[in-house]
Amino acid sequence: MPNLKEIKSRITSVKSTIQITSAMKMVSAAKLKKAQDAIIQLRPYSNKLTEIMSSVSSASEDSSKNKYSEVREVSKILLVPITSNRGLCGGFNANIIKKTIEIEKELNSRSELTILSIGKKSSEFFKKNKYNVHSTHDDVFQDVNYEDVSKIAELILNDFANEKFDKVILVYNQFKNAATQIVMQEDFLPLNKTQSENSQEAVDYIYEPGKDEILNELIPKSLKTQLFKAILDSNASEHGARMTAMHKATDNATELKNELTLSYNKARQAAITGEILEIVGGAEALNG
Amino acid sequence: MDIEIISPEEIIFKGNAKSVKLPGESGGFEILNNHAAIVSNLKKGVIIVKDENNSEHKFEINSGVVEMKTNTISILAN
Repeated sequence: MPNLKEIKSRITSVKSTIQITSAMKMVSAAKLKKAQDAIIQLRPYSNKLTEIMSSVSSASEDSSKNKYSEVREVSKILLVPITSNRGLCGGFNANIIKKTIEIEKELNSRSELTILSIGKKSSEFFKKNKYNVHSTHDDVFQDVNYEDVSKIAELILNDFANEKFDKVILVYNQFKNAATQIVMQEDFLPLNKTQSENSQEAVDYIYEPGKDEILNELIPKSLKTQLFKAILDSNASEHGARMTAMHKATDNATELKNELTLSYNKARQAAITGEILEIVGGAEALNG
Repeated sequence: MDIEIISPEEIIFKGNAKSVKLPGESGGFEILNNHAAIVSNLKKGVIIVKDENNSEHKFEINSGVVEMKTNTISILAN
């Protein structure tokens, strides 16, 4: 039977663990709400952008000659894993790293691979394992905003246009709901032409200065928005994953605390019984 | 006419307007009620929205795109 004091100190430590994990859960829940709102806020912008883009490109005959939609033979690939800066969120970061390595194995030896990591967890991993790291961008998650993300996107777009890379793939956690994240592998560049659904009623627009110039403005904007969305998704997923992980941790710790309390009470009971037996024994020895 | 100014982070302005002055890529221009359908690039500058009470609302943008269709203006700004 372990001694009482030992159990008591373990109970205290488990109790403080519960306090920490449940506090972290609350914080994540609040941050998740904010991150989800940001995703919703982006929606009108991205919808409108897609709408304008499809109506402009359906009116323009050769929308395929854009430098971002140029399909080249793939020999240099840029992978963009998006993780978080902090841990304690279950398999959130491990899943992304696993997926990135999986993609690498698929491509192996046929093409040269470079990593541009967003989020400290993947940056650390890929640097430590001597991958060819292009650059790391860990600051975006301190305060997620469009401006910072669009700088990263510009960097990628320029490198693609200068033929430093022939293909760019994003790997991130897509936000489904607070408890579910889907690991997504998304082709970022070259731009695939999913538009040209002429469901739109053809509006006879005046184009100022011209269709091509407008498309040249719109395409980078839409790519930036795509990256921004991926980062917002990842951000919301991170908080969702942490909330779930902390919820589980709280549950487990509570269970452990109950078990420890039970064995503490049993040990106390045994100690009292032992004491009574000693007293009774002692009294009987005196009487006898 | 209805106008909405949207950025990736929020809806900046939504409402009714008499006229909108825009920093077009090849020079500033103004859109009045019932303007023909137009799509145009915008450069860094100030959007001035004049509402029905003739009061002006100013918004600074770095770049953007404006679309006017069926008397509704949508401005994508960042």
